[in-house]
Amino acid sequence: MRVLRERLFEFLFPIESDTWLSILRVGLGSQITLYSWSLRNDWNYLLAGAAGGLIDRHLTEALLSVESHFVPRLGWLVNFGTHAGLHEETILSLTWICLLAAGCGLLVGLFCRTSAILAWFLHLCAAKSGGFVSYGVDNFMTIGLFYLMLSPLPDRYALDWQLRKSRLGDSPFLGFWRRVLQFHLCVIYFFSGLTKCLGSGWWDGSNVWRALIRPPFNVIDPEILVRWKDLFPMAGIFICLLEIGYPFFIWSDKTRKTWLICICAMHILIGVAMGMYLFSLVMIVLNVAAFGPALIRLEDKRISLQPQEAVS
Amino acid sequence: MRQKYVCTVWFTLHFLLIIAFSLRDTLWLVAHGPTIFPASFRSYSQKAEGVVSALLCERLAASNPVRQVLATYLHIAGIETGYGYFAPNVPGSYKLVFELHYPDGRVEYKLPRVGSDAAGFRVAGLLDKIGRTPYDALREHLVRIMAASIWREHSEVKTIRAVFGSIKLPSVNEFEHGKRQTYQFLYAYDFSLHEESREPEGR
Repeated sequence: MRVLRERLFEFLFPIESDTWLSILRVGLGSQITLYSWSLRNDWNYLLAGAAGGLIDRHLTEALLSVESHFVPRLGWLVNFGTHAGLHEETILSLTWICLLAAGCGLLVGLFCRTSAILAWFLHLCAAKSGGFVSYGVDNFMTIGLFYLMLSPLPDRYALDWQLRKSRLGDSPFLGFWRRVLQFHLCVIYFFSGLTKCLGSGWWDGSNVWRALIRPPFNVIDPEILVRWKDLFPMAGIFICLLEIGYPFFIWSDKTRKTWLICICAMHILIGVAMGMYLFSLVMIVLNVAAFGPALIRLEDKRISLQPQEAVS
Repeated sequence: MRQKYVCTVWFTLHFLLIIAFSLRDTLWLVAHGPTIFPASFRSYSQKAEGVVSALLCERLAASNPVRQVLATYLHIAGIETGYGYFAPNVPGSYKLVFELHYPDGRVEYKLPRVGSDAAGFRVAGLLDKIGRTPYDALREHLVRIMAASIWREHSEVKTIRAVFGSIKLPSVNEFEHGKRQTYQFLYAYDFSLHEESREPEGR
């Protein structure tokens, strides 16, 4: 029992450098910055209340309250700001500015923990209050930001570390949070692959065709796509096998490199061929942070943990 | 050491929840969607989904504190849904067209407009949600809110007819034989400033 427990702890709390955390921080910082910037013209329109929005935010928040009253939402900030005499439009604009600032903070590593918490909270508020206009990318951003804010920040490439010589996080917990991210990605890809395998359209390639011509993802002219029709069945089966095989092949040193490159290539193609660049970016960031550092072997060269830290 | 125990317990519970929700969504897809499994699997899948849902406290009253706490955690961790994107099959998409009727008899057609591609994906997602909701009242309410946003930009309009339809995608073979996307009418709603909405015209 004791041996089992020790092995479990060894697996869950490996000694890790913080390279993966740097990748996650910089990647999610870029993601938040691009996300905010891409919505700069539509932020208020998508998230306003009945007076000026596309969809009444109050309706989404009322539906959210049926599930739970405690999930963060923009309504809290608007109510708080209204007491201070601010208009809804001003509060939404301030929220957008704060989210952009938190993204930039994460990108350069300034006030890492505060930036991570602020980015998670404000993005979650926007994603939940705009529930009708949110999609998969918001889900993965919440997952990434949730793990990031709980991880031992700052990493050594952050400005916080350079300027203030903030202490590096506890090493076993660096490894733990990386394991959490690794496990989560395995579950995501396994179930994504499994559910795709259930549809006949992924085996005969028709789903690849449909995904590429379906508005608003129809970036490439179908006249061009149809010339590649013989590749669609192969592409469909390849995607299914790539996803369902992820948890089995990503852990082995022999297959990790191939699997990670294929998964990242798949997401790049999704970004280019379907225009979903934000979705692609967040998936690549999560994958590279989780399984990339061992691949590029930066850790061995740049590890800077003191011996006593590693032992404790 | 104590922190490690706490983390291990959290890890176990967290991943039990993630796997349970993913499993529930997979079972739901088997129970409701056309899949490669024979139809007889559907009833088993439906029963299994019910069991998993019950284990996830989803059969408790909405006001139940356990359910509320669990829902809060799921939302803040981003694990409240499964991961069956574009699965088991890629669905068609939806289109909403607003017919703007002016007092002088002029008719103008408008689509929901946003300022960027990133927001365009979100509007497409919104139309998917409107199209797939099983609640007629919610669908009508959402379309009415969207019509109101059009009204704010065109205050002189007398009435707005919102026509909601689905886009049928051609197969590769059909495309090669000249068939293109077709628009299938699903619902129409009439709105005026005085009379908010009439009964929708059905499919």
